[in-house]
Amino acid sequence: MNSLGLTATDLAAAVKNREVTAAEAVGASIGRLAELEGKVHALLTPLFDRALARASEIDRKIGKGEDAGPLAGVPVVVKDNLCMKGIRTTCGSRILEKWHPPYDATVIRLLEEAGAVIIGKANMDEFAMGSSTENSAFFTTNNPWDLERVPGGSSGGSAAAVACGYAPLALGSDTGGSIRQPAAFCGVYGLKPTYGLVSRYGLVAFASSLDQVGPFARSVDDLALALDVLSTPDPADATSSRRSRPVYRACLGREDLKGLRVGVVKEFEAYPVQAEIREALGRVEGILRGAGAEFLPVSLPTTIEAGLPCYYILAPAEASSNLARYDGVRWGLSVEAEHLLDLYMKTRGEGFGAEVKRRILTGTYVLSSGYYDAYYLVAQKARTQISREFTEAFRNVDMLLMPTTPTLPFRKGENSEDPIQMYLSDVFTLPVNLASLPALSLNAGNSPGGLPVGVQFVGPRWGEETLLGAAKAVERVLGKPAAAFGGEGA
Amino acid sequence: MRQPGSAVIGLEIHVQLATASKLFCACSTDYIGAVPNTNVCPVCLGQPGSLPVINARVVEFAVRTALALGARVGQFTRFHRKNYFYPDLPKAYQISQYDLPLAEGGSLPIGDGKERRAIPITRLHLEEDAGKLVHSAADGRLGHSEYSMVDYNRGGVPLMEIVSEPEIATPAEAREYVARLRQLVRYLGVSDGDMEKGSLRVDANVSLSRKDGSLGTKVEVKNMNSLRALERALEYEIVRQAEVLASGESVRQETRHWDDGNGVTCGTRGKEEAHDYRYFPDPDLPPLVLPAGFVEKQLGFMPDMPWVLKERFCTDWGLSNEDASVLTEWPGLARYMEECVRCGANPLRAANWIRTEILRVLNERKIPIEKISVSPENFSALLTKVEGGDLSTTLAKKVFDLMVSEGLSLPVAIDRLGASSGKLTGPELKAVMDRVLERETSAIEEIRTGKDPKGKKRGFLCGQIMREARGQADPGEVAKMIGEILDNQ
Repeated sequence: MNSLGLTATDLAAAVKNREVTAAEAVGASIGRLAELEGKVHALLTPLFDRALARASEIDRKIGKGEDAGPLAGVPVVVKDNLCMKGIRTTCGSRILEKWHPPYDATVIRLLEEAGAVIIGKANMDEFAMGSSTENSAFFTTNNPWDLERVPGGSSGGSAAAVACGYAPLALGSDTGGSIRQPAAFCGVYGLKPTYGLVSRYGLVAFASSLDQVGPFARSVDDLALALDVLSTPDPADATSSRRSRPVYRACLGREDLKGLRVGVVKEFEAYPVQAEIREALGRVEGILRGAGAEFLPVSLPTTIEAGLPCYYILAPAEASSNLARYDGVRWGLSVEAEHLLDLYMKTRGEGFGAEVKRRILTGTYVLSSGYYDAYYLVAQKARTQISREFTEAFRNVDMLLMPTTPTLPFRKGENSEDPIQMYLSDVFTLPVNLASLPALSLNAGNSPGGLPVGVQFVGPRWGEETLLGAAKAVERVLGKPAAAFGGEGA
Repeated sequence: MRQPGSAVIGLEIHVQLATASKLFCACSTDYIGAVPNTNVCPVCLGQPGSLPVINARVVEFAVRTALALGARVGQFTRFHRKNYFYPDLPKAYQISQYDLPLAEGGSLPIGDGKERRAIPITRLHLEEDAGKLVHSAADGRLGHSEYSMVDYNRGGVPLMEIVSEPEIATPAEAREYVARLRQLVRYLGVSDGDMEKGSLRVDANVSLSRKDGSLGTKVEVKNMNSLRALERALEYEIVRQAEVLASGESVRQETRHWDDGNGVTCGTRGKEEAHDYRYFPDPDLPPLVLPAGFVEKQLGFMPDMPWVLKERFCTDWGLSNEDASVLTEWPGLARYMEECVRCGANPLRAANWIRTEILRVLNERKIPIEKISVSPENFSALLTKVEGGDLSTTLAKKVFDLMVSEGLSLPVAIDRLGASSGKLTGPELKAVMDRVLERETSAIEEIRTGKDPKGKKRGFLCGQIMREARGQADPGEVAKMIGEILDNQ
């Protein structure tokens, strides 16, 4: 049996039924990697030996008739800002190039307890700051659909890995769009959960109040399955919600969407969005209407006006503090120096890339006395206002349909010299983080040039079931996204 | 209005809370003597990706302290990050509280009776301790060190900072305020309050009032490791500032360190950096909203306040102010005293004996009162025997020593000394006395011939008889009987 074409859901079932072994599944992933990784460069650290050893363990378990978990034998790729005990975790940065965390992130533990086999750690923009993986200190990942283009970011490696069919599932993190934007660029599903649904313990922090871990997949069922595994409340994360979680897989059975009210944001209509994306929005609207959903206009004026500046004040502010611990004293890069200040300056000067430095400077500035009130405090107020605006909108609708990005995947180097242009590509994704909402980016077909086109669903807090249900309805019509490069991954 | 030139002192006290685990992780707080960097985990080392979770016990301890001070406990408080770089601070920020501290207001009484006055408290907040730098130089200071090492065992230990209003007028008052606060945290059981170990650290802000009564430029004085050091440092600093002002110069706003050996405060050379800590709410910690009933529940853990106990000891039992102070210094000692009285001991005798005998043993053995083997029941039974004349003071002290050293109960200790608990009196005592008088004829002769004007020989005879009676006779009765025999002949 060829395991590469299977979804995570089907693969886990096949492994349990002994139609395929975990070792075979992992072997197939390694084979696919050997074929494509030279072109794509999705992984920073492959973990093949470890993965094969873990796969054998799972096979032994199954041989003994034990329950190997809902993800038994499923190969998974994880973003390199998730801590794995004893495994190098770089965050795409020179400063952590040789750092081996002494502990596992909660989501890593949950995945492995569920039987998943982590086959590698994915490339990313340094400290998750970026939209293209061009800010990785090591190399840029190429878009599997057009190697001259970026895969998006910051979780570009994870998205590309799933698009290539290395693994049916990958984990990313989303602070302002870092799951959804690369999902759209690589033609896969990406879910950014409600803030507090998935544990952040062991996710190396970028902006703590905005960061969430979430899954990439090429099937809605797999997204739901991953969310069932990942959304366990975590006492080690004080921001992890204690509310009870539904079984997300259970919400996918409904065939129609009767009674679903979908909002379209009026202010986004005027925003410059590429024609292919507008067409995709229309396509998806048609499918949802066909399934019984109704469409209503909603208004988010503050979000449109203040979202971007608000985000680019708050995220750097938190980052400047979160990244202060990389000082060369305890771990990571430590550049030899004459005295303490020298150590700090040399280590941080050599260890951080330009974009990270830019955000640390911005963040330090907006928190400084004399500027705090004018920037940080105003941005906090704007954030509260944006949250209220969404809450207001969700009184009348159950979810929103929005573009994920204003453009299709851009060429490498196209935006990298212009930070503002790069920041603008986050305009549709980052308000979701500011308002702590869940959002799902889904592939809605390809452009005439063969590039994937994504759109996103945005829900009220804890509204993941609605988003998954709507995505499933689209998947029923459009089919599951194809694997890049075709072949066995398709 | 303040008198021009009068001292104005405000104190910031950091109290290490005696919880078993740290403020934001489960690591042990027992860092004294521990192998460096063993009581650490990803959280208190600030390893990337780790997250803090508040220790509920810490909040309980702080709320109890706030209640004892009569402070208002905030129903909604939060934590801020105080950002600065230093090797002992693993995250490069300290989690502290800023605009919404755990408690505000309240006061701490100092002085007794009519002299009593309340020093108002500004705020009480929680924060995490930093690690410790160990410098390689022989004097342990950074100055000539080739290298420094850092031990994070202390990092993340919970601290409660209590800030007073600048309403302390003299070094003696400051000393008393700290002593009272130390006593309070010991009563509450929230800290050992040990200044030498650093469980209680005092920073003082000192200024002299201007001519118009407004506050002068304040100087922060640090590094005072005992009550005496605090008092001396403040005395020195007040004189120093007065001299600076008298010479026509102005006081520089700075932090000065108390040098206990030389008895001076020293400024840091060169310009002081103005710190911008870039405080902002810690996004890893949701605001702390105390659940309904949390504060009320803590009221159940409130002991009698030491100053209340002290007053009660004086008025109910007629103890001197000094006795009452000593006996209420430690909660265990006060409880011991109360137990003794409850078991029937005369309060004055109990106070006297606790101060002389019990405290002596505690000092000799360096143990807390809780560790002494003589129970209040046994101790008060001993005192009752002294009270009733069943045991002489001398013998009672021997019995007590035996009880302490061998852990014996009162009857066993008395037996061991051969002193049956029956009292020697009347004809039995007379028989003992006769035996002694028969032996000591020369002494009797001297007394009778008037060669003992100072009564020395008479005392000698008394002692001999008491010894013969193994201390079980009443010395008064012995003296009286000697008198009857010698003077009537």
